[in-house]
Amino acid sequence: MIDIGLLIKSLPQLLKGASVSIQIAALSCSIGLTLGTIFGLIQSGKNKLLKFLVGIYVTLFRGTPMLIQLTFAFFVLPELGISIPAFWTAVIAIGLNSAAYVSQIIRSGIKAVSKGQLEAAQVLGLSKFQATRYILLPQAIRTVVPALGNEFITLVKDSSLASVITVVELTKEGSRIVSTTYDALTIYTGVALIYLIMTSTLSFVMGKIEQRMSQHVKN
Amino acid sequence: MLKIENVSKKFNEKVVLDNFSLLVDKGEVAVLLGPSGVGKSTILRVLNNLETIDSGNIFYNNKEIDIKSINKNHLIGMVFQLFNLFEHLTVEQNITLALEKVMNKSKKNARKIALELLTHYGLADKKEKFISQLSGGQKQRLAIARALAIKPQILCMDEPTSSLDPLLTTHVANNIQELADEGYLILVATHDTDLLEKLNCTIYLMDKGKIIESATSIEFFKNKETYPLINKFVSGTID
Repeated sequence: MIDIGLLIKSLPQLLKGASVSIQIAALSCSIGLTLGTIFGLIQSGKNKLLKFLVGIYVTLFRGTPMLIQLTFAFFVLPELGISIPAFWTAVIAIGLNSAAYVSQIIRSGIKAVSKGQLEAAQVLGLSKFQATRYILLPQAIRTVVPALGNEFITLVKDSSLASVITVVELTKEGSRIVSTTYDALTIYTGVALIYLIMTSTLSFVMGKIEQRMSQHVKN
Repeated sequence: MLKIENVSKKFNEKVVLDNFSLLVDKGEVAVLLGPSGVGKSTILRVLNNLETIDSGNIFYNNKEIDIKSINKNHLIGMVFQLFNLFEHLTVEQNITLALEKVMNKSKKNARKIALELLTHYGLADKKEKFISQLSGGQKQRLAIARALAIKPQILCMDEPTSSLDPLLTTHVANNIQELADEGYLILVATHDTDLLEKLNCTIYLMDKGKIIESATSIEFFKNKETYPLINKFVSGTID
């Protein structure tokens, strides 16, 4: 049976862990979105060398498990003389992984923007950068908001992997409490519920953003 | 005066413009007439730097134009067949974008210019609407207003009436005529023969990338038999 008393008692510690999870997710999301957008633009562009390099990046990060990427960054990089705190290792590794997926989402969004939109921008005198900034990206991102929402939700859940490289986030806090209370059912139910609340809130927010961004197609 | 001299273009091995030459004066409406695939739209796209040419020269007021810098100079404007209005922006923003970002007008000034244009084209009450909330005729007028906002001297219109009913075609014809009267040099690519009857223009019938017959619309409708090729196309006669 779930021990409600223990759950309430453990809540402050779990919420402290949840706040770390949120920080990891938010920071890696920023990295993923920024790099992913740049990579998506490169892959939609004409520079063959850059396209090739981004292609290799995407293959590497999509083709290997995130857990391996995290442990590689945590255990192998220090051997090469690169030492980063565990929290930032998690943020960077998850962010870089997310960038690979976001780049493909952005690329599909760019593909969906009709060529005529950029031609109209060119005829009006907008530079390539201005056309990308004011026409291409706003339209591409609007198309892929649902897919980006899914990616961000995945990111929140993936932040739990940071626990394997000693980052004390929600999952790690949960396992710490279990190691002293031996009540896995109560604590992991609480942990799961907090993840569910976080992802549901994010899902709600993304739904609102999607609604707001698609107001131009309302009649 | 716009002078297009011996412009040629191939897409792979297909010749789309074959030593195409044309002379259009200020205040004149030149209608490039012909079926699909004869190169009407291509010449408009060439003038707007949307296609490159293999050979030939283009002059405006006896000065050769560097097509690559034509968009920055705002010499030319284009109304696309499918309008290509920016779907994510409001009606007003479709006009103010280039004014603010390209012509460096202040937000206030850009909105003032946009409002004047929208009022002129009967769209002032739609300024906050999005493109999906406009009818075909309203989109057409907005596309014209957007093209005029950058104050071009030449206006190209690609199939401006292809998706409009006869009443709206008359409205567009009136708009074109009004612009010509204001001094704009206008090039229209169309296969809509109804539009010809409503315009005071010069008709240039095209085939295989070049002009094969020309006549002013007044001359043509006065004496159709003198212009057998245009007459054949307008009447839809099959050999």
